[in-house]
Amino acid sequence: MKATDEEIAAETVDSTAWRRMHPVTPAIKGWKVLVAVLAVSWYQLGENLREVASLRDGHVWLFVVGGLAVVALVGFGYSALAWRATRFAVTDDAVHLQTGVLFRQQRQARLDRLQAVDVVQPLLARLVGLSELKLEVAGGSGSAVSLAFLKEADAEALRTELLALAAGLRRPAGTEPAAPAVPADPYTKGVDAPALDDATPLTTPFVDAPERPVYEVPMPRLLMATLRSGAMVAVVVVAIAAVVISVVARDVGAAFVLVPGLLASGGFIWTRVNQGASFRAAISPDGIRLRHGLTESRAQTVPPGRVQAIRLSQSPWWRGPDWWRVEINVAGYGHGEDQARETVLHPVATLDEAMAAVWLVLPDLGVEDPQATLDAALHGRDQDGGFTGAPRSARWVDPIGWRRHGVLVTHRALLARSGRVFRQLDIVPHERTQSLGLAQGPLQRRLGLASFVVHSTPGPVSPSVAHLDQKVAAALLNEQSARARSARAAAAPERWMTTEPPA
Amino acid sequence: MSEPFDPADVTWSRVSPRLAAARITTTCIVFALPIAILVVIAAMTGEMWVWLSAAVLVLFVGWLVLLTRRQVRAIGYAERDDDLLVRKGLMFRQLVVVPYGRMQYVDVTAGPLARKFGIASVQLHTASPATTATIDGLPPHEAARLRERLASRGEARLAGL
Repeated sequence: MKATDEEIAAETVDSTAWRRMHPVTPAIKGWKVLVAVLAVSWYQLGENLREVASLRDGHVWLFVVGGLAVVALVGFGYSALAWRATRFAVTDDAVHLQTGVLFRQQRQARLDRLQAVDVVQPLLARLVGLSELKLEVAGGSGSAVSLAFLKEADAEALRTELLALAAGLRRPAGTEPAAPAVPADPYTKGVDAPALDDATPLTTPFVDAPERPVYEVPMPRLLMATLRSGAMVAVVVVAIAAVVISVVARDVGAAFVLVPGLLASGGFIWTRVNQGASFRAAISPDGIRLRHGLTESRAQTVPPGRVQAIRLSQSPWWRGPDWWRVEINVAGYGHGEDQARETVLHPVATLDEAMAAVWLVLPDLGVEDPQATLDAALHGRDQDGGFTGAPRSARWVDPIGWRRHGVLVTHRALLARSGRVFRQLDIVPHERTQSLGLAQGPLQRRLGLASFVVHSTPGPVSPSVAHLDQKVAAALLNEQSARARSARAAAAPERWMTTEPPA
Repeated sequence: MSEPFDPADVTWSRVSPRLAAARITTTCIVFALPIAILVVIAAMTGEMWVWLSAAVLVLFVGWLVLLTRRQVRAIGYAERDDDLLVRKGLMFRQLVVVPYGRMQYVDVTAGPLARKFGIASVQLHTASPATTATIDGLPPHEAARLRERLASRGEARLAGL
């Protein structure tokens, strides 16, 4: 098996460049197995608590403890094996990762296709000073390259190096790829790649790109914003319903029916606060940097030109203070459970901060007065700010929100405005348009309307303008495909520090 | 066809009418069993309303057959210099524009029934799962030609995401 690994890797990677994760990794990953087993058995036992109580008498608990010990042993043992089988290497063009105990997998992520780099610290890893380095490439679900776990300093050095290489910088002549300062043993090379432990720090010839803070979210505002959310409204409604039910039915037990709903809302509120806590955004030559998280901290770097679309949304409960939630589409983000954590550009922005967030992605909105335009886009209706609105006949298909439907095309981006109660604004840079669509139902045809759709990469933003005049929509479709093409040709190169596109 | 779904400078290519035959065959296969069961029950019991429901079902299949033929005629695609246009639908109309440079890959598929009828589907994929650019009912040689053409044009205009 080792020979095959060597053969697979031999072509591209110098065998001394391979490295292992930090040796404490199995201890952290092993816990997950134990916790999962405990959670499952707790869930199973929860249904027959009485039987469990009766077990207490005999020596059954010895078996329980023994069983847990076996599970823990298997969990940690497997994690240790997996750790031994995992190694990675960084070359000038790609990151290579080998994993798998039984089924070996070698993954190669091209650096010029890098979409984002995250340093993630789950609670346990954070306590021992380790972090996970996650590289997002736009390959669909499960395509991210996860290097877990590395020492904090190592993860950051590696991130600096990867970003510099992805940007198109080259290592100064004569320096090795960031390698641990241990001599490579000729007999075990490739097989026993050195681990990145405390004794062998990682060095890189690159320095971290300077960054400038743009905004941060104060905790009181985040708490207030979460309290003014739909989930909180649901909690209040449920609580009132519970009181009413128990009074009417003269039985407190009836109110317990509502407990699951309450738990769900509570969970939602906790997640929002946990993820948005100490949210900070900064701009650097390597792109947008976001840091956030209470228990699990996450530091994201999204290089320039990787944001595919932006959405600003406002629920009616946020209208008073005029707060906005800003979300983004980044290819590679937006798969699986992490989506809600990764795709937030600002959890609760004031108007000024919302504009700053848009500026982070699109420094040039392509209009004379971006503030006035955005103001009209966020609060306006009909023709405000030069928008093309829906015709009057649209009131038959959308009686409440039809005056908010609107679209504005600037030199750089397409702005789609919608929603009267739940306000929303989607912005798509022209060069990030994937494909375009036009749709028309029977009722719309009768009224001479059509809906215009912009297809973006998977994520929270799915831009569209419903119920435009059908002639306007058709013209938009035509012009927009031409605009996307020319914007594409003029767009900045994929490797953002190079001036000309690579051959 | 109303004007927004029929740009003036575009000549549409139609798909093979064999697609209608294939779809009608599928419909008939799906409805054959319920109709047969109804007829058998009706013959055994002699109840009038069972005969009636069987007749209604047959009429419904007849209507589907007519509709399918019109739907297939409504499908069209056009290769422009920089993008591909795909149009479909009668009641709910849809038009999709896919720039060649945005294509990530092209699928050509043909199930057993489609092979029997000598047709294949071509599907374009961009980085967006929302791109629904599928052309059903192409003759195999046309499907292969389109695939090659799309691939070569995509390569010439290839860019990242």
